[in-house]
Amino acid sequence: MRLTRLKRIVLSLILAFLVSGVQAQPNSLTGYARNYIGVLLQGDHEYSIIQNTLNLNVEQSKDRVAFKVNPYIYQYPNEDMEIGLREAYLDMYFNSVDLRIGKQQIIWGKADGVFITDIVSPKDLSEFLLRDFDEIRMGVTSVKADYYIGDNTFEIVWLPEFTPTVMPPEGSIWRPKYSFPVQPVFDHSREKVTPSLENSEFFAKFSALTSLVDFEIMAGYAFDDDPTMHVVKSINPATHQLTGLTVYPEHHRLTIGGGSFSTTLGPFVLRGEGAYYNGKYFNSTDPKLPESVVEKNYLHYLVGLDYTLWDIHLSSQFIQQAILDYNPLIEKDEYDNMGTFLASRDFLNETLNLQLFIYYGFNNNDALIRPKVTYDLADGFELLFGANIFTGSAGWFGQYDNNDMVYSKIKYSF
Amino acid sequence: MTSKRIQFVLLAIMLTIPLLAFSQDKLTGYQVIENVYNRATGTEMEGNLTMTLINSRGNKRIREIKQYIKDFGKVEKKIMFFIKPADVRNTSFMNWSYDDPGKDDDQWIYLPALKKVKRISSDSKNDYFMGSDFTYDDLGDRKPQDDTHKILREEEFNGEPCYVVESIPKDKDYMYSRTVTWVVKDKWVGLKKEFYDEDGEYLKTLKINEYKKIKGFWIIIKTEMHNVQKNHTTKMDLSNIVIDGGIKNSMFTERMMRRGLK
Repeated sequence: MRLTRLKRIVLSLILAFLVSGVQAQPNSLTGYARNYIGVLLQGDHEYSIIQNTLNLNVEQSKDRVAFKVNPYIYQYPNEDMEIGLREAYLDMYFNSVDLRIGKQQIIWGKADGVFITDIVSPKDLSEFLLRDFDEIRMGVTSVKADYYIGDNTFEIVWLPEFTPTVMPPEGSIWRPKYSFPVQPVFDHSREKVTPSLENSEFFAKFSALTSLVDFEIMAGYAFDDDPTMHVVKSINPATHQLTGLTVYPEHHRLTIGGGSFSTTLGPFVLRGEGAYYNGKYFNSTDPKLPESVVEKNYLHYLVGLDYTLWDIHLSSQFIQQAILDYNPLIEKDEYDNMGTFLASRDFLNETLNLQLFIYYGFNNNDALIRPKVTYDLADGFELLFGANIFTGSAGWFGQYDNNDMVYSKIKYSF
Repeated sequence: MTSKRIQFVLLAIMLTIPLLAFSQDKLTGYQVIENVYNRATGTEMEGNLTMTLINSRGNKRIREIKQYIKDFGKVEKKIMFFIKPADVRNTSFMNWSYDDPGKDDDQWIYLPALKKVKRISSDSKNDYFMGSDFTYDDLGDRKPQDDTHKILREEEFNGEPCYVVESIPKDKDYMYSRTVTWVVKDKWVGLKKEFYDEDGEYLKTLKINEYKKIKGFWIIIKTEMHNVQKNHTTKMDLSNIVIDGGIKNSMFTERMMRRGLK
């Protein structure tokens, strides 16, 4: 969220008041300060990012109530500061029910780094998938109620207002590359979902944590966080040649049902997650379609395995998206296969950690490779050096083939 | 013993009810260790655990944990809330340990940055706990039948009469080739334990620096593990101990893992 000067001043005052106010009797005032510098490996080695961050968690609880406010500031050289509230909510605890009201991150599912049933909180993709996960997941204003019966939980969530995925701004190196035959004109008039009771989103989940297996069953009546690109073509009637394209991003209603599980098999942890999406729209080259989109149902599922070998924590996942009742004119593949791999090992009494995380797209043979080294210089003081290497020339990761980067993060948690 | 013993996040080398039926002179090494294992400690325990990690240069790092343990009969449940350092605050860990020797522990960890409760395998008992010199197995519940025990000698240690028991794991791939424990006669408290690595080399020593009776149970208050190979030491201090204070069953749930110490 880029802010005007006035808004920044107001928010800064709120932040200052908040911090100074709760310092009187904070239950907890925690957070971190961080410096983050990234350098592109190609071209003139431009900085992909220079960012200073202050993230605060202000929490207070008393008897059966609690609140949390999580303001953050991203500061960039010679740019407007980005100030926001990642979370700001009130908790009420009853015997068998917890209520949480306000802006909150809601995370579901058993998958790591993949979003299948985890669709309540939208994503901030300003920096693609490179931010830490607590920074990718956006808080949403909602009412959440959890009803507990033993080790079972029934959760319902009402989001009075739809929040879409945040995409990288124009000019960003992380802006997705769209392939159109001519330069399109984007018309955002249909993109906004008018806030109203009718346009609310609803989610429900039943989950259990047992000795044998942990599982979740979920359903949602929501909007697609990612807009469908409706394409209207302008044709010269004389020559029948394409003369222009107007793209109307639009969010459509989705009905989702799914679930996930996690269990141990000896030394392995087996995880699975899947969801059925009803009402998903896909772009198509079918000339008979007026706006080049077609509605299809589709499946998105995953199986994963975690294991430790020679003190190295290993985790791999296979993910597939399948469009049902597929038509070959749909631009997206009928089956989109992806894999993830994680290897992580601690050294020096857990002060040093080496980690490698890889996303691999089977369809386009593209990948995002993320090695990193983390060293705890002192308690709460962390140095991180890493790289983000994109391979391939097409696909979700291959489109960023020119964005290979190395980066450092220095973080002090308090 | 009212029910299964309480496992504490310290080495479970404690006092057991004196088995008067035995003549101590006739005890075997197995019986000594079994008596330590089967000691009575109440059905519930809560307390604050402070771990001080000291490296070879004398630099210290501090970890603080609040923990609750309750024996439910066939299963013992433990939940730990991490307080310090700041970057792990609000992380929680839950363990369900079963009487059934054929059933592995169930373990979960809640990571506040991910806002997820993740099931983890309890198979990695050789992993070190929070960067300390204690493995999960050192802190846990190693069963007497997992090792072959032999009384090496009887001698005084810190002014207390002790059995010195050698324990050799039946699993040849276990991370220790053998351990030697000094167990106080009658009290059944292990005052000292030496660990030898897979190659038979002296690895580390555990010492009990303080223990006392609380509500009729011997409770270890201060311990120290020194790894001689890395010249690294971990001190564990227990405070605010409450025995049988009435911990609600609902403490050991996903709900509490997520909520934390609120």
